[in-house]
Amino acid sequence: MSAVPKFNSLSRGWRQIAAALTARPQRAVLLPTLAALIGAALAGFGMLHAAPDLTIVPPGYAALVNNKGILLSDFQAQTAALTGKPFAQTTRAERDKTLRDMIDEELLVQRGMALDLPETTTEVRDVITAAVNAQIDAGARGQPPTDTQLEEFYQAHRAAYSTPGSMTLRDLVLHVGGYQDIDQSTAQAETDAAEAIYQLRSGAAVDQVMQHFGLVDSGRADSGEALDFAAKLHLGAKLYQVAETLTDGQISDPVPDSDGVHVLVMERRNPPRLADFGSVRAKVYSDYMDAAAKRAQEAGLKLLRRDAQILLAPGMPAPGMP
Amino acid sequence: MLTRIKSLGFQRRTQLLTLAALLTVAAAAALAGVHVRHEHLLARLLTTDTEAVVKDRELTAFAKEIAKPLFAANCARCHGSDMTGNSAIGAPNLTDGVWLFDSGDVFDIERTILYGIRSGASKSHNVTDMPAFGSTGRLSASEIRNLVQYIDQLSRRPHQAQAAIEGRAVYFDVAKGNCDDCHGYSARGNSNYGAPNLTQNVWNSGGDDQSLYAAIYYGEHHIMPGFFGTLSLEQIRALAVYVYMASHP
Repeated sequence: MSAVPKFNSLSRGWRQIAAALTARPQRAVLLPTLAALIGAALAGFGMLHAAPDLTIVPPGYAALVNNKGILLSDFQAQTAALTGKPFAQTTRAERDKTLRDMIDEELLVQRGMALDLPETTTEVRDVITAAVNAQIDAGARGQPPTDTQLEEFYQAHRAAYSTPGSMTLRDLVLHVGGYQDIDQSTAQAETDAAEAIYQLRSGAAVDQVMQHFGLVDSGRADSGEALDFAAKLHLGAKLYQVAETLTDGQISDPVPDSDGVHVLVMERRNPPRLADFGSVRAKVYSDYMDAAAKRAQEAGLKLLRRDAQILLAPGMPAPGMP
Repeated sequence: MLTRIKSLGFQRRTQLLTLAALLTVAAAAALAGVHVRHEHLLARLLTTDTEAVVKDRELTAFAKEIAKPLFAANCARCHGSDMTGNSAIGAPNLTDGVWLFDSGDVFDIERTILYGIRSGASKSHNVTDMPAFGSTGRLSASEIRNLVQYIDQLSRRPHQAQAAIEGRAVYFDVAKGNCDDCHGYSARGNSNYGAPNLTQNVWNSGGDDQSLYAAIYYGEHHIMPGFFGTLSLEQIRALAVYVYMASHP
């Protein structure tokens, strides 16, 4: 019983639509035409913006691993490289193995990213930063220097191209206080040292002067020749600063230090010598290119910092970033 | 115009409206057809083997159509709009059929476009470059001059005989030029390294004596950027085909 009234109301509705259409005959053409145009537009839009089919490997790729593509070109190049023959001559088994290995590698890489390895593993961070820097400084390494630029670099970095100096010296000390000489005061030691130096400079034998004034070998200087860097390590900065100015046979002025008053006797001094430009050209060239690469990397970092949002917790030292 | 349409009779207006609708649908269908064909050809361009692509006239014509504006926008700056290179920056001539790396087929050209040369990417061509023999002091000025004469002799050009003999000695001397290590015993180059053939008289950075001297003195470290990620795979394939066809007219 209830269906009949529904049918009646439906047919009444269609009759009303038909009446409306025929009341104004233009609508009989206009509305369907409009509908056709809208339909065509929708079809076109749908065709042009079709969602990608994730079950098909897009052209140009050998495989998709979790929607990440392995390039067909990479697969072919890898197969050829591993087998040592053109890809067309490789066997099915060789290709299968290569692709399987590439898929496994991709899986591991993706797993690594999921595990946030760049955060937890320093080796991964190192490799990534090195790879990024390689891309940044590729341009700098492609611009070799002129001779003038090399010479200017050499002059500006002379210390890097000097041969290491060496010295053979004796470091004598008049101890002050401590168990070695309880009664010796600093003032007395300085007076004694000055007198000892006078005698040494007058030609007196070192051992004789040592015995007379109570000077002893401090134990800091190597017996025999020592390179400057080693001498500096053993003597300490204060004594080394004096030693490096002495020439063969020279005696230093008294040098007070924590353990007493020192007298340096320079037996033989080979000062650092700046190497001739021609003899170190290769190193200068290499250093120049490294410096250019470093500048490029610093410029790259500056850009990255500029475009990054970096927030520091309260109390954190501001590392001087722009 | 609307007034004119309104002044027409009902039947005429209906006919005009129907015609307009039909034309619109036809135009949309034609555009859709062009788009579908374009997509189909793009897919074919990528899925067809690189050796087979160049034998397919429809695909090569299609590739040229896509690649020409791409080349102008991305490559002409270095390789020239006529693809004949730029010796001032060592950008090779792409039409002479002489290739630094690999064999110069579509696959190889495509890989070079993908990852570049000394671009910093590990997949780029980056085994080595030409050392700066003069700048590093490894060879003296006279040794380099003699080497240049030897190269002139190799490429069958006028040269000074005695200087060429001395240059040859430098070429093979392990402690000096050691040039055969990359360029080969017969100086025919090594496409694995990008070491040029020195006997063909084809030069990326100029073949006159002064340019050769500069190349040996300062080395060659030219860089080509990679376009993976910048251009689509289809665009790169199209460029590779386009460049290949330029050297195989």
